[in-house]
Amino acid sequence: MSLNRRTFLKTGVAAAAMAAVPRPLYAQLGRAPELLPPIEDPRLASLAARALDSARGAGAVYADVRLTHTRTRRFFPLFTYDDEDMEVGVRALLDGYWGFASGPVWSPDEMARLGREAVHQAKTNALGKPRIVTLAPAPVLKNASWTMPVQIDPFAISPFEVQDHLTSLEIFTRRAPNVGLVKNNAMSTMQEKAFASTAGSYCTQRSYLTMGDLAVGVYLPRTKQQSELALDCVSAAGLGWELYAADSIPRVRDHSLRDEIVLRLEEAKEDAMLPVKALDVGRFDAVFDETSMANLLDGTIGHATELDRALGLEANAGGTSYLNDPFAMIGSYVAGAPLLTVSANRSEAGGAATAKWDDEGVAPDDFTIVKNGTLVDFQTTRESAGWLADAYAKLGKPAHSHGCANAPSAVEAPMQHVPNLTLAPGREASDFNALVGGMSDGIAIKRASLDMDFQHGSGLGLAAIFDVKKGKRVARYPSAGFLFRSTEIWKSLLTMSTDKASRRFGVSAQKGEPPQTCYHSVTAAPAVVKQLTLIDPMRKA
Amino acid sequence: MTGRTDRLVRLSDDSRILSEQDCQAIAKRVFAFANGGGETSVNLMSWWNGELRWARNRTTLASDRRDIRLEIWRDVGKGRGNVSTNQLDDASLEAAVRAAERSAVLAPIIRRPTPTQPPLPNPERPKTAIWSDATYAVTPEARGEAARALIGPAEAKGMQSAGYLEMRAGSHARLSSTRMGTTPAPWDIPYTAWTQAQCSMTVRDKEGTGSGWAGLSSYDWAHIDAPALAARALDKCVASQHPVTLEPGRYTVILEPQAVCELIAIVATSMYREIPEQGQGPWVLSYDDVLGLWRSKLGLKVLDERITITHDPADPLLGIFPEPWLEPVTWFDKGVLTNLSFLRDYALEKLNVNAPRRALTGYRMSGGQTSVEEMISTTTRGLLVSHFSDIRALDGNSLLSTGLTRDGLWLIEHGKISKAVKNLRFTESPLFALNSIEQMGVPVPVFRPVKNPYEQEAPLTPAIVPPIKSRDFSFTSTIDAI
Repeated sequence: MSLNRRTFLKTGVAAAAMAAVPRPLYAQLGRAPELLPPIEDPRLASLAARALDSARGAGAVYADVRLTHTRTRRFFPLFTYDDEDMEVGVRALLDGYWGFASGPVWSPDEMARLGREAVHQAKTNALGKPRIVTLAPAPVLKNASWTMPVQIDPFAISPFEVQDHLTSLEIFTRRAPNVGLVKNNAMSTMQEKAFASTAGSYCTQRSYLTMGDLAVGVYLPRTKQQSELALDCVSAAGLGWELYAADSIPRVRDHSLRDEIVLRLEEAKEDAMLPVKALDVGRFDAVFDETSMANLLDGTIGHATELDRALGLEANAGGTSYLNDPFAMIGSYVAGAPLLTVSANRSEAGGAATAKWDDEGVAPDDFTIVKNGTLVDFQTTRESAGWLADAYAKLGKPAHSHGCANAPSAVEAPMQHVPNLTLAPGREASDFNALVGGMSDGIAIKRASLDMDFQHGSGLGLAAIFDVKKGKRVARYPSAGFLFRSTEIWKSLLTMSTDKASRRFGVSAQKGEPPQTCYHSVTAAPAVVKQLTLIDPMRKA
Repeated sequence: MTGRTDRLVRLSDDSRILSEQDCQAIAKRVFAFANGGGETSVNLMSWWNGELRWARNRTTLASDRRDIRLEIWRDVGKGRGNVSTNQLDDASLEAAVRAAERSAVLAPIIRRPTPTQPPLPNPERPKTAIWSDATYAVTPEARGEAARALIGPAEAKGMQSAGYLEMRAGSHARLSSTRMGTTPAPWDIPYTAWTQAQCSMTVRDKEGTGSGWAGLSSYDWAHIDAPALAARALDKCVASQHPVTLEPGRYTVILEPQAVCELIAIVATSMYREIPEQGQGPWVLSYDDVLGLWRSKLGLKVLDERITITHDPADPLLGIFPEPWLEPVTWFDKGVLTNLSFLRDYALEKLNVNAPRRALTGYRMSGGQTSVEEMISTTTRGLLVSHFSDIRALDGNSLLSTGLTRDGLWLIEHGKISKAVKNLRFTESPLFALNSIEQMGVPVPVFRPVKNPYEQEAPLTPAIVPPIKSRDFSFTSTIDAI
């Protein structure tokens, strides 16, 4: 091979496009394998129908099939790593029992086998005691199609452009002495998905997920230690390469990524200059930054309102929920202060869980989970929405799925995963610093990470914690954490910033057996909470 | 698997994973597609999962899943390209090789020049038998039947059972174009097939006041006594109902084997030679001003002298994915730190020995003869811990950790279990617990299911550990979660 990078770069855009050309994968749509067509190709509907026919023929009262084609590109400053997979999964319902079968081959024979196998799996369990599944209604989709809008398709640009971008970030950061990037890689995924069900639905969608692992290391010569500062503005998002390249992204960052690095470094320097103070254990009013609030929302209400978890379906895995009686709690349980309103969606542009249709062909709706402090809903799928039918009826609402069925790919069975979450902002026209400025005596909490219990009812927070006196951060605690109960902390919510200070973060969540990892976004604004319990987490009894 | 290359390659009903012949044939096809010389390596994995999940006393999903992962490395010039896929037809393989070549030239992983390494002295170690026909043969019908039998007793007592049964099989081969049919290099993996079975369940009362758990994993389904696990989970649930609040503080604890292995998992992940050499971690002793280097605690007594921790890779109960070059290692001998793990390059360059990579991929911990019942009967006041959840390290140097008790915690008073108590958060170092041992029981295998080899997260380490009774274990707060 005579090609090298220099000659490649000389040849310009055409060559760049060539390098970015997807690898041909093959599917068998007719008699012989052929190049994998775009997901919108109508012949894929016939392929999917083969699985459904097979499942129906074997006795399924309902079946659905998903085909996923997933391209993943991992970018490092000096190299790029590509992965490309095709999967198919068939789910069948028979006498109230679900069976699932999946594999990596798209061919008519394999569709038929998977359809039969899914029913076989369901049948083996239908021998036992009866189980009733009532699927909440879902409108039939007729050849619907959607592509997530992204500004820069990460698979259409040259990977070297991305590598150069990452390298330039390193060079840019290293201008300052004792500073450098300790983590600097990014990953983009494009997933094409076709869904078909025996109810007659067929839809295809193409979605994107981009995330970065970017951390600045600051070496402190005096202590010979290195502190690490992660930049969460490149956490998982339903965006293309604009996650890095855009000058600003609404609710993610107001500046370019380089400027964001500079700002964060200045902030870290400012934090490090504060004197260290011995910890005063006790209860204090606390200002939380937006990262901490997002993690708090996700760790408490975000996971506790997964209906399957609340009803014990995750008891042997991640655990259950402190919201343990959904039927009685909906519409009456006080989950927090009147200021607290939490909504969920899968429609937000840039959201990590954003999709046009979920893995059951349901168009997810935007719904409210907590309204003015009262718990009003749970996250549902078609099956789990049915469990809430009576509770919904009392509230005068029909039972319908919120479209939370999801899975990383078709090889995994769909299950309920957390959608994008939004904490409704408050009316305090101020950001984190202004909230600190309004506090006479208390603490300020930045970048909190939480250890929640297995019912998400209480937690230990570890964070950068500062002493606040007369509106100023006057000292930092070298080792401090806080203990809280989920309901108590939300009831203690005093004030929250407006939407202007809201930030969106992408987080991953693992669930199920075998475990599946999916992503969602959490949007929150800085807030003040009263009487938080401050502890030294390193102190033994 | 069909051998014809003009068809899409799929795993058949008869052969749910790739055979050795399949892997050799696929590797040869990949190597044949390579252009322009240079080494081509493949890392080829296939797996099958037969799964059953239940909750609220009914099966919620039964599944049969299969997949493949093929990673290709192409060395072109000084660069290395790397791609992966799960498609094995000729056209996809050729396309993947081309993509790897493009990547090798245009966006290469810079290869370190491979130093000439001496062959390893004993490449033919006994293969770990981590294949069980019994695991592979479990049918969906058998899983369904087993699950119903496990749910039955709990449901009869009005409890809610949730659990998971999984049988897995897989194959793994890492082959190189330059070493086909010759002595493999230490980083090659000759074809190995493996199985893994796991069964675990949680029984809760309908009011949510009690919870019991039991589980076991093994390469062999025949080693798992599922009905006994079901009985244990149910007993624990019944005994843990209506717990009372206990003040946090220091307590003598009796840790069941599952709790022991969860607590000391962090010790297993700290056993790297490089960490103390950089002046960090629990095994650094002090800085030697004369030699100008950090000294480690190798050779010093760091744990209770009753503790010996060993790993024999040939022990199928400690079987993880195949690595035929791993040697038996004694990590702690009567409390003395005797080994820390290292890479082969490290052995050649720094230790000046021709040894393969050393890694703690499983372990057996010595024990004693005291049963849990005897431990209880000899305890004036203490806590019996079933297992832990959500453990995280707070300090990498002391291994100080925090976590929660889960699924059964009981107060022991005057030699008897007196009451169930609410779960507690602990803040303690496993090294402290392993230095405060009063009694130890007979080591047994515990629930440590091994993940698929291609998964990014570190695999759980299979372990055989005893129950232990330890003094002054620090609990720092109560939690309401049950």
